[in-house]
Formats: sequence, C-alpha cells, structure tokens
Amino acid sequence: MHLLVDAVGFGIAAGAVIAIGAVGFSLQFGMSNVLNITYGALMTLAAYLGLFLLGRGLSAWAAMPLCAALVGLASVGFRRLVVAPLRRRGTGALGMVIVTVSAGIIVEYAIVAVAGTAAQSYGRQSGATLHLLGMTLTAGQVAIILIAAGLMLGLHLLLTRTTLGRAMRATAANPTLARSCGIATERVGDAAWLLSGGLCGAAGVALALTTVSFDFTLGSVFLIPMIAAAVLGGIGQPYGAMLGALVVGIASEVAGALWDPAYKDVVAFLILIVMLLVRPRGLFGAAWSARRLLA
Amino acid sequence: MWGLNLQFGVGGVANLAYVVVVAAGAYTYAVLTLGPPAASGGFQHYVLGLRLPFPVALASAGLAGGVTGVLIGVTGLKRLRQDYQAMVMLVVSLMAGTVVAADTGLFNGNAGLSLIPNPISGVSGMTSGWPYVGIVAACCLIGFVVLRRFTTGPMGRALRAVRDDETAAAAIGKDVVRLRLVVQAAGGVFAGLSGALLVAFIGGWSPAAWAPVETLALLTAVIVGGMGSDAGATVGTLVVTVLLLQGVQFLPEIRSHPGLKEALGWMTLGAVTIAFIWVRPQGIVPERRPRHGREAPPTHVGRIEPLPPPASRPGAGGEAILEVERLVRRFGGVAAVDGASFTVRRGSITGLIGPNGAGKSTALSVISGFLEPGGGAVRFDGADVTGRPAHELARRGLVRTFQLAREFRGLTTLENLLVAAPGQRGEGAPGVLAGRRYWGGQERELVARARGLLAMFGMADREDEPARNLSGGQKRALEVMRALMTRPRLLLLDEPMAGLSPRLAERLEEVLLQLQRQGLSVLLVEHELDVVDRLCEQVVVMAQGRVISTGRMAELRTRREVQDAYVLG
Repeated sequence: MHLLVDAVGFGIAAGAVIAIGAVGFSLQFGMSNVLNITYGALMTLAAYLGLFLLGRGLSAWAAMPLCAALVGLASVGFRRLVVAPLRRRGTGALGMVIVTVSAGIIVEYAIVAVAGTAAQSYGRQSGATLHLLGMTLTAGQVAIILIAAGLMLGLHLLLTRTTLGRAMRATAANPTLARSCGIATERVGDAAWLLSGGLCGAAGVALALTTVSFDFTLGSVFLIPMIAAAVLGGIGQPYGAMLGALVVGIASEVAGALWDPAYKDVVAFLILIVMLLVRPRGLFGAAWSARRLLA
Repeated sequence: MWGLNLQFGVGGVANLAYVVVVAAGAYTYAVLTLGPPAASGGFQHYVLGLRLPFPVALASAGLAGGVTGVLIGVTGLKRLRQDYQAMVMLVVSLMAGTVVAADTGLFNGNAGLSLIPNPISGVSGMTSGWPYVGIVAACCLIGFVVLRRFTTGPMGRALRAVRDDETAAAAIGKDVVRLRLVVQAAGGVFAGLSGALLVAFIGGWSPAAWAPVETLALLTAVIVGGMGSDAGATVGTLVVTVLLLQGVQFLPEIRSHPGLKEALGWMTLGAVTIAFIWVRPQGIVPERRPRHGREAPPTHVGRIEPLPPPASRPGAGGEAILEVERLVRRFGGVAAVDGASFTVRRGSITGLIGPNGAGKSTALSVISGFLEPGGGAVRFDGADVTGRPAHELARRGLVRTFQLAREFRGLTTLENLLVAAPGQRGEGAPGVLAGRRYWGGQERELVARARGLLAMFGMADREDEPARNLSGGQKRALEVMRALMTRPRLLLLDEPMAGLSPRLAERLEEVLLQLQRQGLSVLLVEHELDVVDRLCEQVVVMAQGRVISTGRMAELRTRREVQDAYVLG
C-alpha cells in the first residue's frame, strides 16, 4: 500500500514535468497544425544546455529560465527557417512529420557529436525530503511541481487576459478568418512557437533534474508520454493537456511499481495508441473546447 | 548488403513501423533455424528453436512479416489524419522495441540472439560469404519481378487510386479496407523476407539493430529515390545506404570522439531528407505512369452498356429503380435530412433541387453509402440497401459523383477511367502472379472503352496527362466519365454542370440524354434550373431536409411552396 502511495507521489512529480512539455506541445500543435517531432530533440538540447551551464557554476534553478529562453528562440528559428517555408511550398502533413523527425535526428546527433553518447547527470540535487499525505518527495520534485503549477497559471492568464492570448486562440481556431480580421497571424505564430519552445526548454531541464542520468535520447523517449498527455486532453487544449499529463504520469508510475519498471513507458504508449484509435479528439472532446479554449 | 535487401521496401506504404516488420521476419527466421536453447550451452534464452531448414524458415519469416504487416495495418484503418497515423506507427515500433528488449524469455531481451545459422554455414569448405551473397541476389531478382507485377498492373493502379483519394476509390467500387490490408500484407512479406536474409547474413540480431532511427533511413531511401517508383526505391537505397551510411566509415577517425562518424552519418541523412522534401519531393526517379499504345482504338462511342441487373432477385425490374423512404440524417442537433421520401423511375432522369442547405448533397451521400443513415430506408432495384458500404453499392450499379471533383491526382486521365472498370482480372492474386498474359486482353478492351468515353467528351488528346494537370472543368468531366466507366445502372450526379465550360456542359447534357435512351437512370442534383428543365421529366424539391414538392419543372415554377422555399431559404 505504501508503495502505491509513493508511486502516486512520483506520478504527480512526473506528471508535472510532462505537463510543462505537453502544454507547450499542445499549444504549438493547436496553433500550427504541425506534428512537431523535433520537440523531443529540443528538450534534449535544453537538458544538455543546462548541463553546460551547470558546469559553468550556475545553479539548476538559474539555468532553467535561461535554457527555456534559448530553446524558445531555437524553436522560433526552426519555424521561420524550416516549417513556415515548407508550409508555403505546400508540403503535406506526412511530409512535415518526416521533416520534423529528420530535424530531430539532426539535433540529436549534433548533440552526440559534441557531447558523445555517454550518460550524463546533473549530480545529486538537494537531498532534503518532504512528507506530504504519506507521500515522500524530494525538495527538487516539490519545486518542479510548484514551477509547473506556476507556469500553468501564467499561461492561463496569458491566454485569457491578454490581447496576444486572444489572438492566439483566434488563430488556432481559424487562421484564415483571424488573418482577415487583422491579426498578424505570422507574428502570433512566432509568439506561440517562442512560448512553446520555452516550455519545452523548461521541461527539458526539469526532466534532467528529476532523472538519475540521461543521454541524447532523453527527449525523444519522453516525447511519447508528452504526446499521450496532449492527445488525452485533446490536441490544442492546454488545460486538457495538464490533466492528461497527471493521468499519464500517475498511470505510468503506478504501473511501474505494481508490475515491472521496464514497462513504465509502455503504459504511455498504450494510452496514446488507444486514444488515437478510439477518441482522437481527446477525452473531453467537443464539450471541453466549447469553453473558449484553444482550438 | 542492406542495399540489396532493403529495396524490397517499396511494397509498403510510408510506414514508420516498417522496421518492426523486418524485425519480425528476422526473429522468426532466427528462432526457427537455431537449435534448442539448451543445446547451445544455454547462454541465450528464446522460444521455439526448431532447427528448420533454410527455405522453410525463410518462407515462415515472409509469412510472419505479412501477418505483422496486417496487424499494424489494422491500426491504420481508422480514418486518422496521415500524421496521426504516422505517430501511431512510430509508437508501435517504440513499444515493440521496449517489450522485446525487456522480455528475456522471448528473444533473449536486450542482448539479442547470436550464432544464427545461414544455409551455407553447415557446408564444409565454404568459409567466404560469397555463395550466400549469390543466394540473396537470386532472391532479390525473384522479388523484384514479383514486385513489378504487383505495382505495374491493374492492382498497382487500384492501390495508387486508394492512396490518392480513398473516398473516390470507394465511390467507384473499390474495397478500400481490403486493398489497404493487401498492400500491408504484401509489404510485410517483403519486409519479413528481407529481415530473414539479413539476419542469416550477419548471424546476430538484437533490439539495437532495429531502432526507429533505422526506419528513417528506409523512408529517406524511398523519398530520395522517388515515392511510388520501383526503380527509384532501388536507386534511393543505394544512395542512402552506400553513400551516406557506409560512406562516413571512410572519414578519418577522431580519437577523442568515438561516436562522431556515426553521428555525422545520421545528421547528413536527416539533412538529405529535408532537402529532398524541400527541393525535389518527387525524388530522383519520379513516379512514371504508363502510356498506352495505339493498339486499342476507341469503341463504344456513345454507348455505356449498363451492367445487367442481377437476374434472380424478387422485385427487381419494378417501376422504380431507387426508392428513398423517410430518410433521416442528423449532424449533432441538426437534421440535415429530415424524413425525405422520393423515388427515381427506371430509365428516367430525375432532378433533385432546392435552396442551399436543403440537404440534397447529404441525401446523396446517405443513399450512396458514404454516410450512415439515422433512420429510414433506401431500396435499390427492389433490394434493401440501407446503410450498405459505398463500394458495395457501386458494384451493384449505384454510383455517385462528387460536388468537388476528386480525381486520382497521380494517375493519368486514361488510368483514372481504367481503374474504375468493374471486375478486373488484374486486381486479384492470380492477376498479380500471372502478369499481363492473364489480364492483357481485358485491359485492351477497357482501354478501348475508356477512349470511347474520352472521345465523347472531346478529351481524347488529354489521355496521358496526369489528372492533376487537368482544368477544373475537365476534372468535373473526368469525374462523370469515371462514374460511367463503372457501367452504372443508376448514376447520382452532384452538380455536374458547376464549373464546366459552356461547350462541355452542352456536351454533358447531350451525353446524359443519349445514355438515358440506352436505359441509364440518373438522379441529378443541380442548381441550374434551366438544365433541370431540359433534362428531367420528374423533379423533386427539397427544403430543410424534407421533400416539399414533386412534379415537372414547369409546374413547380408556379407552385407557391417552391417559390417560398427559394425566396426564404
């Protein structure tokens, strides 16, 4: 029983990391309609950037916003230089996936070329543990849960209270209409990719912080639980993705505890496949999107 | 070696789980040829261990590949967007990798299998690998011949039609599900065989050998070579595996970075893929479509010879060819078709008119099996066909066209017509295996008929043009011709005149009247009321999902409820 409670606690922590990434992914997909596999590789990039900054004596908490900013810029660059021009050339959905897979592999192996294939680690973070409702969490995990909650709240305010947020939601719902209403959809798109890239970077560092060790496949492996969360909540719906992230995180950790840790990822795979085949619009379907959220 | 083996990849569609199928073949071959686990000292664990001879194991590997291909293909049947589908495939391959790596009892887990025998390893005095290369080359040759037969004949044409537009393929009577499973099975067999040949050559097999990144190498090969082109896939495989992956081996070794060469290889691969999608999406050797010689002059000009009605059906041959009764179709809370009833008399051209949003197109879609009815009944030729799938209805002789032209973009104009012909010998297994001898005669007749149709519409000079290059009006005309090619008995036309040049529109009117005299029945949805006036003796008026009036056009013009419907919407 205690094992189970602990697993739930770990699941919430894992869910928090997934949530940061999944919300960014969902936002980006909802805005641009491109299934961006490069997202995973950019997460890995953030983790390695963090490693580099840590080596320069920065603390992980200072490295996180910096990495988020850098990866956000990389994300905008990728959109401007690759995604948008290809879109204008009329590349189809499948072509785009192949392009983003390829770009992801380029980024991944560029990391290998620089840093090698060896496993890396941020080293032991603060060892203090907290006990909460019978769950045992490290201070780092608690911090990440708080950061995730903060980011989600910030995003919520951005989407609902600002002009940019409204413009983003309008563009996601109908780009053509948004453009003819005078919204600079290209700039809004850049903003969305900056934002989602930033979330991707933050998630990368958070992920590296919470795993014992990682290598260049970190992000591409983590992409599946993230996409699973995004699809579970309905693509393009950030709140759905948050909830989906918690479900995926807890389900994976509990399954890992009850069954075999090696199958932890399989749970996310299964959730994703079943969702895509049975309810590709997400658990909450149309009812959720009726609440004036993205898409 | 990879190069020779992987050229078989063309049989499959762009399938990100392709390596899983290759792996299935490899593992099958391995556990069938290896001896019992205990015999080899028990250092690796696996199932079976039957020590079967090479040909049996090879065939089983092909079979395993085919079955795996179909299983993966089933996940693709759900109508997901292409990129979602690609993601499902990616996840399937990741999941398979994880499970196989974690389960040590099945195929020795992450460590993989080794000491897998090949057909010459038992023969004394043969130490070099060359005889085996010969065996593989022979297999490749046979494989390539079979592949050509598969992709170049009517079967390949039908598959390409499904690839270009599933809905339109169903409209002309193609069983899309069956065709897609066939392509998955065939591609799977090739993949399974290539896995077996490969594993016999290298002697070992582990999860690392079929990481998802290997699939990218395959996809790159197909993209670089040219999608849908057999020669292109061969070229692409050579370019990708030989130039890129093997080529980096010759770079100077840098001591401090042991993984650098491989990393550079993959980076180049990614860059090449993007570059090709960017600059030359059709690949080095683009898909070529066959031209047909002059051996078959046009026949049947002005005649379509509808399919004979099925003989022994009670009620067949009655007055009405189509009876629609209280048909209902809802979208959410809106009833687009709300209890509409009407009939189409045999041998008549019946008009279906009404203001925008009246439910005409929806009714057409429900009748022709593209939408599930929410209630009511459809009887075609006396038989209840309510809710039957579109391809089945098309084969019975009830064929529709679409409001927006849906041509098979990658096929030529002539092929667009040929693919629609019913009962083609070349579309079954014997046709694929026996080749042109088996279906060539029928093909000549079909070419002649198709040319007859093209001549009727004055489009004979466009027959070798890829359909994507036709003008809007020509595409609409092609749509009608393609429907006629199926030899329908009842044709449902959804605004066929829209977008047609006046000359083509006039031609189409003449053709329809001509065909009617030969016994074709037509249900015509049309906004151009003058056209309806000239063609239709009977006209059905719909508004807000219901039939509000029926009669001759001249009478309808004077009726109050019809005028109201048009004025008030």
